[in-house]
Amino acid sequence: MAAPDFYFAINATFRWMLERCGEGGLREYWRALGRQHYAPLTERLKEGGLPALRDYWESFYAEEPGAKVSLELAEEALVLTVHTCPAIKHLRAHGREIMPLYCEHCTHVSAAFCEPAGIGVKVEGGRGTCRQVFTRGDRS
Amino acid sequence: MIGCAEFILIYDWTFEYLRRTQGEEGLRAYWEECISQDSQLHARELIIPNGFDGMEEYWGHTLAEEEAGYTSVRTPDAFRIDMYACPSQGLLKAHGQANYHDYCEHCMGWIEPVLREAGFVVHHEHNHDCKCWWEIVPAASPPPPSEPGGLAGADDIRLNAEWQTGRIDCWVASRRQ
Repeated sequence: MAAPDFYFAINATFRWMLERCGEGGLREYWRALGRQHYAPLTERLKEGGLPALRDYWESFYAEEPGAKVSLELAEEALVLTVHTCPAIKHLRAHGREIMPLYCEHCTHVSAAFCEPAGIGVKVEGGRGTCRQVFTRGDRS
Repeated sequence: MIGCAEFILIYDWTFEYLRRTQGEEGLRAYWEECISQDSQLHARELIIPNGFDGMEEYWGHTLAEEEAGYTSVRTPDAFRIDMYACPSQGLLKAHGQANYHDYCEHCMGWIEPVLREAGFVVHHEHNHDCKCWWEIVPAASPPPPSEPGGLAGADDIRLNAEWQTGRIDCWVASRRQ
Protein backbone atom coordinates (compact mmCIF):
# COMPACT_ATOMS: atom_id res chain seq x y z
CA MET A 1 0.00 0.00 0.00
CA ALA A 2 1.20 3.46 -0.78
CA ALA A 3 2.04 5.96 1.91
CA PRO A 4 -1.06 8.14 2.36
CA ASP A 5 1.05 10.89 3.91
CA PHE A 6 1.96 11.74 0.32
CA TYR A 7 -1.43 13.43 0.20
CA PHE A 8 0.14 16.04 2.50
CA ALA A 9 2.74 16.78 -0.18
CA ILE A 10 0.14 16.97 -2.95
CA ASN A 11 -1.96 19.45 -0.95
CA ALA A 12 1.13 21.48 0.01
CA THR A 13 2.36 21.56 -3.58
CA PHE A 14 -0.93 23.02 -4.81
CA ARG A 15 -0.91 25.62 -2.01
CA TRP A 16 2.70 26.64 -2.70
CA MET A 17 2.06 26.86 -6.43
CA LEU A 18 -1.03 29.03 -5.84
CA GLU A 19 0.87 31.40 -3.54
CA ARG A 20 3.87 31.63 -5.85
CA CYS A 21 2.29 31.50 -9.31
CA GLY A 22 -1.36 32.45 -8.82
CA GLU A 23 -4.44 30.55 -10.00
CA GLY A 24 -3.33 30.68 -13.62
CA GLY A 25 0.06 29.22 -12.77
CA LEU A 26 -1.46 26.45 -10.69
CA ARG A 27 -3.89 25.51 -13.46
CA GLU A 28 -1.11 25.51 -16.02
CA TYR A 29 0.87 23.14 -13.77
CA TRP A 30 -2.10 20.76 -13.65
CA ARG A 31 -2.61 20.99 -17.42
CA ALA A 32 1.06 20.43 -18.16
CA LEU A 33 1.09 17.44 -15.80
CA GLY A 34 -1.93 15.97 -17.55
CA ARG A 35 -0.51 16.51 -21.03
CA GLN A 36 3.05 15.43 -20.38
CA HIS A 37 3.23 12.93 -17.52
CA TYR A 38 0.05 11.16 -18.55
CA ALA A 39 0.81 11.13 -22.28
CA PRO A 40 1.07 7.30 -22.34
CA LEU A 41 -2.41 7.09 -20.79
CA THR A 42 -3.76 9.42 -23.48
CA GLU A 43 -2.40 7.04 -26.11
CA ARG A 44 -4.17 4.12 -24.39
CA LEU A 45 -7.41 6.11 -24.33
CA LYS A 46 -7.12 6.93 -28.03
CA GLU A 47 -7.08 3.19 -28.69
CA GLY A 48 -9.40 1.93 -25.98
CA GLY A 49 -11.82 4.80 -25.35
CA LEU A 50 -14.10 4.80 -22.34
CA PRO A 51 -13.57 1.09 -21.47
CA ALA A 52 -9.84 1.77 -21.20
CA LEU A 53 -10.56 4.74 -18.96
CA ARG A 54 -12.79 2.57 -16.75
CA ASP A 55 -9.96 0.05 -16.43
CA TYR A 56 -7.55 2.84 -15.55
CA TRP A 57 -9.74 4.24 -12.77
CA GLU A 58 -10.43 0.74 -11.39
CA SER A 59 -6.72 0.06 -11.04
CA PHE A 60 -6.01 3.57 -9.82
CA TYR A 61 -8.50 3.62 -6.95
CA ALA A 62 -7.63 0.09 -5.91
CA GLU A 63 -4.23 1.48 -4.90
CA GLU A 64 -5.53 4.49 -3.00
CA PRO A 65 -6.07 3.72 0.71
CA GLY A 66 -9.57 4.45 1.97
CA ALA A 67 -11.07 5.17 -1.45
CA LYS A 68 -14.69 4.20 -2.09
CA VAL A 69 -15.81 4.66 -5.69
CA SER A 70 -18.19 3.16 -8.20
CA LEU A 71 -17.99 3.13 -11.99
CA GLU A 72 -20.83 2.89 -14.51
CA LEU A 73 -20.01 2.51 -18.16
CA ALA A 74 -22.59 3.19 -20.85
CA GLU A 75 -22.03 3.55 -24.58
CA GLU A 76 -21.57 7.31 -24.52
CA ALA A 77 -20.42 7.99 -20.98
CA LEU A 78 -18.44 6.70 -18.05
CA VAL A 79 -19.61 7.87 -14.65
CA LEU A 80 -17.14 7.75 -11.77
CA THR A 81 -18.83 8.37 -8.44
CA VAL A 82 -16.39 9.07 -5.65
CA HIS A 83 -18.18 8.19 -2.42
CA THR A 84 -15.09 8.71 -0.30
CA CYS A 85 -12.18 10.69 -1.68
CA PRO A 86 -9.08 9.14 -0.10
CA ALA A 87 -7.11 12.37 -0.20
CA ILE A 88 -9.74 14.56 1.45
CA LYS A 89 -10.41 11.84 4.02
CA HIS A 90 -6.73 11.57 4.97
CA LEU A 91 -6.13 15.32 5.06
CA ARG A 92 -9.16 15.83 7.29
CA ALA A 93 -8.22 12.93 9.56
CA HIS A 94 -4.86 14.59 10.20
CA GLY A 95 -6.21 18.10 10.65
CA ARG A 96 -4.51 19.47 7.55
CA GLU A 97 -5.83 22.69 6.03
CA ILE A 98 -7.07 21.70 2.59
CA MET A 99 -6.04 24.30 0.04
CA PRO A 100 -9.10 26.03 -1.49
CA LEU A 101 -8.69 24.82 -5.08
CA TYR A 102 -7.71 21.24 -4.20
CA CYS A 103 -10.64 19.55 -5.93
CA GLU A 104 -10.12 21.50 -9.15
CA HIS A 105 -7.07 19.42 -9.97
CA CYS A 106 -9.26 16.46 -10.90
CA THR A 107 -10.96 18.48 -13.62
CA HIS A 108 -7.80 20.00 -15.07
CA VAL A 109 -5.50 16.98 -14.92
CA SER A 110 -8.16 14.62 -16.28
CA ALA A 111 -9.18 17.04 -19.04
CA ALA A 112 -5.57 17.41 -20.11
CA PHE A 113 -5.11 13.67 -20.62
CA CYS A 114 -8.65 12.88 -21.80
CA GLU A 115 -9.45 15.64 -24.28
CA PRO A 116 -6.69 14.76 -26.78
CA ALA A 117 -8.26 11.27 -26.84
CA GLY A 118 -11.68 12.68 -27.63
CA ILE A 119 -13.09 12.28 -24.14
CA GLY A 120 -14.83 15.15 -22.37
CA VAL A 121 -14.68 15.63 -18.59
CA LYS A 122 -17.20 17.15 -16.20
CA VAL A 123 -16.83 17.06 -12.41
CA GLU A 124 -19.67 17.91 -10.01
CA GLY A 125 -19.33 18.21 -6.25
CA GLY A 126 -16.10 17.93 -4.34
CA ARG A 127 -14.66 18.18 -0.82
CA GLY A 128 -14.89 14.46 -0.19
CA THR A 129 -17.54 13.21 -2.63
CA CYS A 130 -18.04 13.96 -6.29
CA ARG A 131 -19.40 12.70 -9.59
CA GLN A 132 -17.11 12.68 -12.59
CA VAL A 133 -18.65 12.19 -16.02
CA PHE A 134 -16.49 11.25 -18.98
CA THR A 135 -18.16 11.51 -22.39
CA ARG A 136 -17.21 10.50 -25.88
CA GLY A 137 -16.73 13.43 -28.20
CA ASP A 138 -14.56 14.77 -30.98
CA ARG A 139 -10.81 14.64 -30.63
CA SER A 140 -9.32 18.07 -30.15
CA MET B 1 -7.01 12.64 -9.35
CA ILE B 2 -3.39 12.60 -8.34
CA GLY B 3 -2.94 9.61 -6.08
CA CYS B 4 -0.52 8.75 -3.33
CA ALA B 5 0.38 5.47 -5.04
CA GLU B 6 1.77 7.33 -8.05
CA PHE B 7 3.08 10.30 -6.11
CA ILE B 8 6.79 9.59 -6.49
CA LEU B 9 6.42 9.69 -10.26
CA ILE B 10 4.54 13.00 -10.00
CA TYR B 11 7.12 14.33 -7.55
CA ASP B 12 10.00 13.69 -9.96
CA TRP B 13 8.02 15.22 -12.83
CA THR B 14 7.23 18.26 -10.69
CA PHE B 15 10.91 18.79 -9.83
CA GLU B 16 11.77 19.06 -13.52
CA TYR B 17 8.73 21.24 -14.22
CA LEU B 18 9.83 23.66 -11.50
CA ARG B 19 13.45 23.62 -12.67
CA ARG B 20 12.26 24.43 -16.17
CA THR B 21 9.81 27.15 -15.16
CA GLN B 22 11.46 28.63 -12.06
CA GLY B 23 15.08 27.51 -12.15
CA GLU B 24 17.07 25.51 -9.60
CA GLU B 25 16.53 28.31 -7.06
CA GLY B 26 12.76 27.97 -7.40
CA LEU B 27 13.02 24.22 -6.94
CA ARG B 28 15.07 24.64 -3.76
CA ALA B 29 12.47 27.09 -2.47
CA TYR B 30 9.83 24.43 -3.17
CA TRP B 31 11.68 21.83 -1.11
CA GLU B 32 12.16 24.20 1.83
CA GLU B 33 8.93 26.22 1.85
CA CYS B 34 6.47 23.65 0.56
CA ILE B 35 7.82 20.23 1.51
CA SER B 36 9.82 21.03 4.64
CA GLN B 37 7.56 23.68 6.17
CA ASP B 38 4.11 22.51 5.03
CA SER B 39 3.93 18.92 3.79
CA GLN B 40 6.27 17.55 6.44
CA LEU B 41 4.67 19.36 9.34
CA HIS B 42 4.31 16.01 11.11
CA ALA B 43 8.08 15.49 10.92
CA ARG B 44 8.73 19.00 12.29
CA GLU B 45 6.33 18.46 15.16
CA LEU B 46 8.20 15.32 16.19
CA ILE B 47 11.81 16.30 15.53
CA ILE B 48 12.07 19.97 16.54
CA PRO B 49 10.77 19.58 20.10
CA ASN B 50 11.95 16.01 20.71
CA GLY B 51 15.31 15.68 18.93
CA PHE B 52 16.57 12.11 18.64
CA ASP B 53 13.36 10.69 20.16
CA GLY B 54 11.37 12.45 17.47
CA MET B 55 13.69 11.22 14.72
CA GLU B 56 13.30 7.64 15.92
CA GLU B 57 9.54 7.98 15.91
CA TYR B 58 9.31 9.79 12.57
CA TRP B 59 11.68 7.67 10.54
CA GLY B 60 10.54 4.45 12.17
CA HIS B 61 6.99 5.18 11.04
CA THR B 62 7.69 6.71 7.65
CA LEU B 63 10.32 4.35 6.34
CA ALA B 64 8.39 1.33 7.55
CA GLU B 65 5.27 2.63 5.80
CA GLU B 66 7.20 3.15 2.60
CA GLU B 67 8.62 -0.38 3.01
CA ALA B 68 12.11 1.03 2.90
CA GLY B 69 15.18 -1.11 3.13
CA TYR B 70 17.11 0.58 5.90
CA THR B 71 18.64 0.26 9.32
CA SER B 72 19.01 2.88 12.03
CA VAL B 73 21.14 3.21 15.11
CA ARG B 74 21.11 5.73 17.92
CA THR B 75 23.92 6.71 20.26
CA PRO B 76 24.03 9.53 22.85
CA ASP B 77 25.53 11.83 20.18
CA ALA B 78 24.10 10.65 16.88
CA PHE B 79 21.14 9.22 15.02
CA ARG B 80 22.21 7.28 11.96
CA ILE B 81 20.29 5.77 9.04
CA ASP B 82 21.77 3.43 6.45
CA MET B 83 19.49 3.08 3.45
CA TYR B 84 20.29 0.20 1.16
CA ALA B 85 17.12 0.10 -0.96
CA CYS B 86 15.48 3.51 -1.25
CA PRO B 87 11.85 2.75 -2.20
CA SER B 88 11.36 6.13 -3.77
CA GLN B 89 14.27 6.05 -6.20
CA GLY B 90 13.67 2.33 -6.69
CA LEU B 91 10.18 3.07 -7.99
CA LEU B 92 11.55 5.63 -10.44
CA LYS B 93 14.13 3.16 -11.70
CA ALA B 94 11.48 0.45 -12.05
CA HIS B 95 9.51 2.84 -14.27
CA GLY B 96 12.60 3.99 -16.14
CA GLN B 97 11.78 7.55 -15.12
CA ALA B 98 14.28 10.31 -14.36
CA ASN B 99 12.79 13.64 -15.33
CA TYR B 100 14.88 15.68 -12.88
CA HIS B 101 18.62 15.12 -13.09
CA ASP B 102 19.22 14.64 -9.34
CA TYR B 103 16.17 13.20 -7.60
CA CYS B 104 18.16 12.33 -4.44
CA GLU B 105 18.82 16.01 -3.79
CA HIS B 106 15.28 16.60 -2.52
CA CYS B 107 15.87 14.74 0.74
CA MET B 108 18.55 17.19 1.87
CA GLY B 109 16.33 19.93 0.45
CA TRP B 110 13.62 19.34 3.04
CA ILE B 111 15.34 17.46 5.86
CA GLU B 112 18.25 19.86 6.43
CA PRO B 113 15.96 22.84 7.23
CA VAL B 114 14.10 20.75 9.82
CA LEU B 115 17.35 19.62 11.43
CA ARG B 116 18.74 23.17 11.40
CA GLU B 117 15.71 24.44 13.31
CA ALA B 118 16.00 21.51 15.72
CA GLY B 119 19.65 22.30 16.47
CA PHE B 120 21.30 19.52 14.49
CA VAL B 121 23.59 19.16 11.50
CA VAL B 122 23.89 16.14 9.28
CA HIS B 123 26.71 14.22 7.66
CA HIS B 124 25.28 12.61 4.56
CA GLU B 125 26.18 10.81 1.37
CA HIS B 126 24.03 9.34 -1.38
CA ASN B 127 25.17 7.35 -4.38
CA HIS B 128 22.26 7.99 -6.79
CA ASP B 129 21.64 4.25 -6.83
CA CYS B 130 19.13 3.75 -4.00
CA LYS B 131 21.75 3.90 -1.26
CA CYS B 132 22.57 6.62 1.25
CA TRP B 133 23.51 7.25 4.85
CA TRP B 134 22.66 9.98 7.33
CA GLU B 135 24.45 10.81 10.56
CA ILE B 136 22.59 13.47 12.50
CA VAL B 137 24.58 15.13 15.27
CA PRO B 138 24.15 18.17 17.55
CA ALA B 139 25.04 21.44 15.82
CA ALA B 140 26.59 22.86 18.97
CA SER B 141 29.39 20.28 19.18
CA PRO B 142 29.25 18.06 16.10
CA PRO B 143 31.49 15.01 16.10
CA PRO B 144 33.07 14.25 12.71
CA PRO B 145 31.50 11.62 10.44
CA SER B 146 32.10 8.12 11.78
CA GLU B 147 34.51 5.78 10.08
CA PRO B 148 32.78 3.08 7.99
CA GLY B 149 31.35 0.53 10.39
CA GLY B 150 32.05 2.75 13.38
CA LEU B 151 28.42 3.34 14.35
CA ALA B 152 26.36 0.93 12.29
CA GLY B 153 28.75 -2.03 12.23
CA ALA B 154 28.16 -4.40 9.35
CA ASP B 155 24.98 -2.50 8.41
CA ASP B 156 27.02 0.55 7.38
CA ILE B 157 26.13 1.08 3.72
CA ARG B 158 29.67 2.26 3.01
CA LEU B 159 30.79 -1.33 3.52
CA ASN B 160 28.31 -2.58 0.93
CA ALA B 161 29.97 -3.89 -2.24
CA GLU B 162 27.63 -1.80 -4.40
CA TRP B 163 28.16 1.48 -2.54
CA GLN B 164 30.96 2.73 -4.75
CA THR B 165 29.19 1.83 -7.98
CA GLY B 166 27.17 5.04 -7.90
CA ARG B 167 28.18 8.71 -8.11
CA ILE B 168 28.54 9.86 -4.52
CA ASP B 169 27.48 13.32 -3.31
CA CYS B 170 28.71 14.27 0.15
CA TRP B 171 27.73 16.70 2.93
CA VAL B 172 29.66 17.22 6.18
CA ALA B 173 27.88 19.10 8.97
CA SER B 174 25.14 20.02 6.47
CA ARG B 175 27.63 21.60 4.03
CA ARG B 176 28.06 20.18 0.57
CA GLN B 177 31.63 19.06 -0.06
